[in-house]
Amino acid sequence: MDWDQFDLSPKIIAALKKADIKSVKEVLNLSGADLQRLMKLSSADIQCLLKTVSHTLRRNSMLTALQLYQDKNHFTSQHQKLSLGCSVLDNLLKGGIPVVGITELAGESSAGKTQIGLQLCLCVQYPYKYGGLESGAVYICTEDVFPSKRLQQLIDQQHKLRADVPAEIIQKIRFGNSIFVEQAADLDTFQQCISRRLSLLLARGMARLVVIDSLAALFRCEFGPAQSALKARYLQTFGAQLHSLSTRFRTPIMCINQVTDAVSESEAAQCSCRVEGSRVTPALGITWSNQLLMRLMVSRVSLPGHPPGAASHCAGSTRTLSVIFAPHLPPSFCYYTVQLEGVKGIK
Amino acid sequence: MQREVGTLPLAPALRARLAAAGFQTAQELLDTGPCGLSKEIGISREEALEALQVVRQECHGDAARPAGGSGATRKCTALELLEEEQTQGFIITFCSALDNILGGGVQLTKITELCGAPGVGKTQLCMQLAVDVQIPECFGGVAGEAVFIDTEGSFMVDRVVDIAAACVQHCHLIAEAQPEEDLRKALETFSLENILSHIYYFRCRDYTELLAQVYLLPEFLSEHSKVRLVVIDGIAFPFRHDFEDLSLRTRLLNGLAQQLIIIANDHKAAVVLTNQMTTRIGQSQSTLVPALGESWGHAATVRLIFHWDNSQRLATLYKSPSQKESTIAYHITSHGFRDVQPPAVTHSTEGAEPNPRKRPRTEEEKQ
Repeated sequence: MDWDQFDLSPKIIAALKKADIKSVKEVLNLSGADLQRLMKLSSADIQCLLKTVSHTLRRNSMLTALQLYQDKNHFTSQHQKLSLGCSVLDNLLKGGIPVVGITELAGESSAGKTQIGLQLCLCVQYPYKYGGLESGAVYICTEDVFPSKRLQQLIDQQHKLRADVPAEIIQKIRFGNSIFVEQAADLDTFQQCISRRLSLLLARGMARLVVIDSLAALFRCEFGPAQSALKARYLQTFGAQLHSLSTRFRTPIMCINQVTDAVSESEAAQCSCRVEGSRVTPALGITWSNQLLMRLMVSRVSLPGHPPGAASHCAGSTRTLSVIFAPHLPPSFCYYTVQLEGVKGIK
Repeated sequence: MQREVGTLPLAPALRARLAAAGFQTAQELLDTGPCGLSKEIGISREEALEALQVVRQECHGDAARPAGGSGATRKCTALELLEEEQTQGFIITFCSALDNILGGGVQLTKITELCGAPGVGKTQLCMQLAVDVQIPECFGGVAGEAVFIDTEGSFMVDRVVDIAAACVQHCHLIAEAQPEEDLRKALETFSLENILSHIYYFRCRDYTELLAQVYLLPEFLSEHSKVRLVVIDGIAFPFRHDFEDLSLRTRLLNGLAQQLIIIANDHKAAVVLTNQMTTRIGQSQSTLVPALGESWGHAATVRLIFHWDNSQRLATLYKSPSQKESTIAYHITSHGFRDVQPPAVTHSTEGAEPNPRKRPRTEEEKQ
């Protein structure tokens, strides 16, 4: 750490070097009294050091809420959201997925989570004007093979799904080129993937969406109930790393999660599951919920005449997308179907 | 000038050295001067200068106050404190049930901690308070400004706009019902843009940035003297990962709490912190408890725990020096934090409108 670049008196700089304090973090981790003892300076000098160091770290960091509200810059504005490609779904989310933060999509199997994930990977590549972020996507698979055939189907049908976008713009986008698929079947590979490959791709601006399908699969087999503390530590570390990447590169992170049965009434009520006949709660517990900005749940609606739980193979089976919690949205839901061209909401 | 060295407000180690070197009165210290002092007892020149400054202040204070007593600490009677406390402002939350159990609202000069599971409404209440602190005095507010320190990135300005618009609307309705000149004048400056421009937003991405920001807060609050609310949303998030050494975390949190208490007192501001919940595994079942450990529980003066009961949101006052423990229900509407139903007029109020500054009578008296 080059202390000379700070606006400090030479006496303080000499004391810092002598006490072998190497970073701003070390300075702030020590209390005022500890610093006095270590550096043998008076308390006035220590206060001066702390203030200067804090100023340098937090230079120009204040914004008023009015400035946030009036910010129209595509890259920094809070109003910029990632569209889902369907106006009904976007209306439910008041624009789409927020660009900074971890959004979770939980639901039973075959409810449509992967479909929404794939659709987002295509939506992110559109220009800002059409709700995209003009960049690619990283898709991290943890259990199944990446559904490339389905992706190809969706790419071929984009003109049908996105009728609002002129055909020449759709044709110009090379969808397949900008989707980076990573396989991470265990925790260590996942850790490597996040800390190395992901930060590289995001730093180069090649991707502005990360879809993780699914996080629960990594934890299902390896952790018994006795190792809950270790599991919690992993979850907190992953959550913090993803959060930090999302903030630094203003990239939405969509985590697909599975559900488990809710053991008690209160657990089910906590995630406000209004789906009839099902008492499910997202997996990974409160440790993971604490890392999230927004939680969405999808489920199949059992149609009258079909026995509940029977997988309905007709193409138009209805599903619900509900907002469980979000700082800017009320709890609400809407219906959608999975068509050939993608996920479309029903008014 | 004849003050004994042992009665001066110096560090005990320093006092011991002075006694060992043979100094007995303050006058002797002042006569020796800093260089002589530092040579005699073996401290640095800066420390000697500081010590002498303290001694000089003490003697000056003594001369000016013949009644005696240390100048460094403030002396006042409990009656004065009571009067001060009763004129203390509260920041209302627009949920009258919550205001009632808090004794009027979120109290200035105290640290209030909001704990709860994700999605229960902590950030909503913080945004509500950042708007409510700005309500003009003639409407029952404290006419202050707000500092919002965000560590999780959950501050959505669109939501604040909704809450602020509803608050302005509410005040307009009051002004229409009671046509008084000062109400109308106050409304001229109480507009959406004005409210948004007085919420100062800081985004801290890890605990080092948070610590640095809190070191800079006293200066910021001196420059912006109208700030009456400091929100840190949330305090747990940056401290719950990345800490191999938990004792370091406890030390940093304690230091943070001390600084916040000083800030709350010196600048007459309310400090509101939000905390996460974590699972504590007991003998036969697991319960949700506030995160950051047992010692953190002592940091806040008032602790509110938010939780669910089936689909009703509840708030429990868990810790308060003056109010009893109670639970109320609340709603979060598109306008913000609200009661579950319109507040019933209780027979314990005097006058037309319950005065939010009076503490509600306890139930035991009636029975």
